[in-house]
Amino acid sequence: MSEVLKVKEVKQQFYTRRGIYKALNGIELELRKGEVFGIAGESGSGKSTLGLTIMGLLPRNASVTSGSVLLDGKDVIAPLREYATKSNQKFNFRRNENVIKKMNRELSTIRGNKVAMVFQDPMTSLNPVLQVGYQVAETMLVHQPRTLAMRRLARANAKRSDLNEALKVLRATESDEKALEDFFRNKGLEGLTEQVISIWRRKDLADAKKEKMILSLHSEKLSWFDRFVLNAVKEKGNLPSWLSKTPILSRYTRRVLLKEGYLKALELLSTLEVPNADKVIRMYPHELSGGMRQRIVIAIALANNPELVIMDEPTSALDVTVQAQILELVRHLKVKFNTSFIFISHDLSVLSEVCDRIGIMYGGRIVEIAPTKEIFDNPMHPYTKFLIAAIPTLEEKEIQEIGGAVPDMRFPPSGCMFHPRCPYIMEICRERVPDMIQVSKDHYVACFLYSGDNK
Amino acid sequence: MQQETAEAGRWENLKLSISVFMANKSAVVGLIIVLVYLIDALIMQFDPMLLGIHHPDVLVPNFLNPVPLPPSPQHILGTTYPGIDLLTSILKAIRIDLAYSFFVVAVGASVGAVIGIVSAWASGMFDEVIMRITDIVFSIPYLILALAVGFILGRSLWHMSIALAITWWPLYARYARSQTLSTKEYTFIEAAKAAGVGRTTIMFRHILPNVLPPIFIQISLDLGSIMVIFSTLAFIGFIPSANIPELGYLTSLGLNFVQTAPWALIFPGLFITIFALAVNLLGDGLRDVIDPRRRG
Amino acid sequence: MKLWVYIVRRLLLFIPTLIGLTFIVFVLSHSGGTNLVLAEYVNPRLTGEARTLLIQKLTEEFHLNQPIYIQYFYWLYQIMQGNWGYTNTPIFSGSVVTAIELFLPNTAMIAAVASILIWVIGVPLGVYSAVNRDSATDQVVRVGSFSLYAMPIYLIAVALILAVGVYLKILPFAGVVNPLLVSNLSWYHNGISYPTHIILIDAILHNNWQVAWNAFLHLLLPSLTLALATVASIIRILRASMLEVLDQDYIRLAWSKGISAKLVYNLHARRNALLPLLTLFGLTVAFLLGGAVVIETVFSYPGIGYWTTQALLNNDVGGIMASTLLFGLILVSANLILDIAYAFVDPRIRY
Ligand SMILES: Nc1ncnc2c1ncn2[C@@H]1O[C@H](COP(=O)(O)OP(=O)(O)OP(=O)(O)O)[C@@H](O)[C@H]1O
Ligand SMILES: [Mg+2]
Repeated sequence: MSEVLKVKEVKQQFYTRRGIYKALNGIELELRKGEVFGIAGESGSGKSTLGLTIMGLLPRNASVTSGSVLLDGKDVIAPLREYATKSNQKFNFRRNENVIKKMNRELSTIRGNKVAMVFQDPMTSLNPVLQVGYQVAETMLVHQPRTLAMRRLARANAKRSDLNEALKVLRATESDEKALEDFFRNKGLEGLTEQVISIWRRKDLADAKKEKMILSLHSEKLSWFDRFVLNAVKEKGNLPSWLSKTPILSRYTRRVLLKEGYLKALELLSTLEVPNADKVIRMYPHELSGGMRQRIVIAIALANNPELVIMDEPTSALDVTVQAQILELVRHLKVKFNTSFIFISHDLSVLSEVCDRIGIMYGGRIVEIAPTKEIFDNPMHPYTKFLIAAIPTLEEKEIQEIGGAVPDMRFPPSGCMFHPRCPYIMEICRERVPDMIQVSKDHYVACFLYSGDNK
Repeated sequence: MQQETAEAGRWENLKLSISVFMANKSAVVGLIIVLVYLIDALIMQFDPMLLGIHHPDVLVPNFLNPVPLPPSPQHILGTTYPGIDLLTSILKAIRIDLAYSFFVVAVGASVGAVIGIVSAWASGMFDEVIMRITDIVFSIPYLILALAVGFILGRSLWHMSIALAITWWPLYARYARSQTLSTKEYTFIEAAKAAGVGRTTIMFRHILPNVLPPIFIQISLDLGSIMVIFSTLAFIGFIPSANIPELGYLTSLGLNFVQTAPWALIFPGLFITIFALAVNLLGDGLRDVIDPRRRG
Repeated sequence: MKLWVYIVRRLLLFIPTLIGLTFIVFVLSHSGGTNLVLAEYVNPRLTGEARTLLIQKLTEEFHLNQPIYIQYFYWLYQIMQGNWGYTNTPIFSGSVVTAIELFLPNTAMIAAVASILIWVIGVPLGVYSAVNRDSATDQVVRVGSFSLYAMPIYLIAVALILAVGVYLKILPFAGVVNPLLVSNLSWYHNGISYPTHIILIDAILHNNWQVAWNAFLHLLLPSLTLALATVASIIRILRASMLEVLDQDYIRLAWSKGISAKLVYNLHARRNALLPLLTLFGLTVAFLLGGAVVIETVFSYPGIGYWTTQALLNNDVGGIMASTLLFGLILVSANLILDIAYAFVDPRIRY
């Protein structure tokens, strides 16, 4: 299997008045296509920072001192690393920020399109003065105006008979999406496929109602000018420059596409089982509960079917049933679109439900990587063992506390980060940083207990 | 052991505070300027002869040569109408302006702060009424209100500063109230833990120590603004022609000579600006120290 | 809560504020005993028998022999009838209402021009300075706005007069128009133009472009001064709030969508950053009005502010009290309008 993401030796630090916080201290990570990779670790171990570094979304006081993040064939953090090497101790916030601005420009084709992130806190992640529908639609408008144009055109061009036939196809093939796609493609109505399917898949509606909705997706009125504009977008694949550069026209085109974006947002939210999605898209974030906002944020991330989605504690704000739905969705996307996920959570039991592999982070380093089952059956790193033992279970058992405090990352411990708290500490642990060693297929651990050559 | 670490923590905090402040160069410059003004005021108060000044309370006109003269070795900053030496007048005026601004701040702010804290603490009807009153006072531009109040009291330096104090307290009441409210919230959680602590104790032990420092900073910041307003009122003619060394009044003396003697307007004005600027810079530095987010 | 419920509620709150405001003015004008009211309402030109009669009539109308809290209502009634008393200053002597009619348009004019300048200068500079934090432009903007902020308004006026009026000699800096130009005009008497009393507009109405241009030039310096005095705090507040907004999670989310920097700054960030400015709009209006008093005095510009200082210098109670009430009314209404506008912009406020 090919890799979608390759993180190599990433070291990252935050400059503050109180000192330099070394947040990431040599992260190694490879992510395969269609894989769900879980990351666990206690608060402050750098999980969120790792996610942000992969996205290149760092604040101005963040410096990447070494390493690379290969994403879509591109080294995302190269400019920051180059600046850090060039500036060489004399860190300048303004220069660093200029580098970040440059990165924002360069990465705009990848972000939201190839890779997306769900941030930790849904309460503050949505813009308070913009309708949620807009916030979802915006990202589609930027990255796939063509899809939006085709959807709208297809609804205008389709005839009732087309949809009748489409329903027949669906019934005949037992909801085979592929068949439906072929059917619409032959008719030149590609834009309809996902619209029909999203209705077809809804669980909150009776079949009769769904069929009625699908049958209504035809002969929608479209003014000649809108048709002309949409056709231009469809031909070009994105906004042709005569449209995007002309002041009023560009605004108008955006408006037309945005309207379609709202409809697609509506579909997405229905997929995420947001009740009354048609009302919700016109609401503002403060009108929604935390769980609802979390789903909006997830919808934004999934809007363009990115290859890689980083989810930072996506289920923490949700109750158990909704959490189960989200996990189900992750599994579904993984199978259907071969999407890869990085799934960050405090909660190992959540990770165990969806992840193919799990990485354990401590002090800005991944200390153990193994397939999910293996991590639970055969944890090797002492820290992993603690984490597993600390998972609450049904049987009463004494929960073991990890002694000692989280390390002060301004002055990280020498050698193995975990040594001040480790019950199996050896001489070498203080002196050298343990390498990742392979203990079995796919199982890696960074600990001298297993290196065999603890001289 | 616990005690020791707390002590050490406090010491480290203080060290950090100082280094944060010192890192802000402009704040240090502001501090120095404010000190210079203070020293000048103190000299004028206690020993004006040190600077060779005989009458620190009045302007000394020279009717033999009333037309403003440009800066020269005799009159380093020139003279203004009628023949008043600008440098010495400004040195005298700094004391007066500073003293009256201090008065306004001390009275207005302490009344306001007390009302604000009590109002937030009492809550309920009292709070509601106080806040309505401040709202209403806020609905009149302070310059106008001060003008009206001062007019009723009679036009003089004293009355002007009383008028300013009367018009400024609502600002502090509001500020102190919001500070107290935000502190109250988390103090109550603490208090609930240590149940059985009296209200007064909580007030003095927990609320005041948290509320007062930011209020003091706000107050010291306003010293600059008040001095500006004070001189503005004097400039538009609040003090009936008198021989008082006051920066705004001093500026207004030169108004008729704007085309021939710009220095007569610029220098007194500049000294107010520099002070206000310095206070603001200083305040910015202090806010860096208090605000944990800006501490970084 | 529906939007209209919010608006109705806000309108209801307006009533106690109005009562409070009028009460303050009433108390002020009565704190010197009843004679202040008389001074306010007796046309100072009256003498002898007529004066005594008028005083008797006023005592009756205002119920001056009743307890003071009852007098308040009669006074309020007179105010609502448009009976605001008399003013006697060198620039105008007569009924307060007429004075307001003559002077308010001029003040509104410089305030309007200044507001446009503030908006056009302040918002772009504040946003630019925050977005390009620590750049050379940002440093200049910061130092500039800091110094302007610390300067007394009259000093800004003086500096502009010296620079533009005296040295460069490109703009006039006294009055509203060159008196020589208007000496023989049918629509201009005694320093008052008709029908709107704003000479710029009147000149345009009468198709006299020479006068209009001259009046426009006279308008520039006072407006610019007023704008500069206010814009400093606008820039500072906007810069700070923009910096704060740019640090928010939702801006990070916006970046993570791969949208253009223009969209992030101008839509996602700016809209949020302007909100605190809107809440401070009331303060800005207060600042504009207060500033107008000083600026009109320095430029001898016949507006409400100039009239107010003239009233102060000439011990004219009528003028002082009326302008206090007037300024208060303007500010209170501005705040009302603003609060309602705010509800449209910030969806959160309606809840
Ligand atoms: N903007 C920043 N400036 C300075 N330090 C930062 C910044 N962001 C994170 N850090 C530091 O980096 C370290 C890692 O933080 P991070 O948020 O990645 O932890 P986390 O594993 O996500 O924790 P949690 O589980 O609580 O979300 C912490 O020590 C934190 O203090
Ligand atoms: Mg985190």
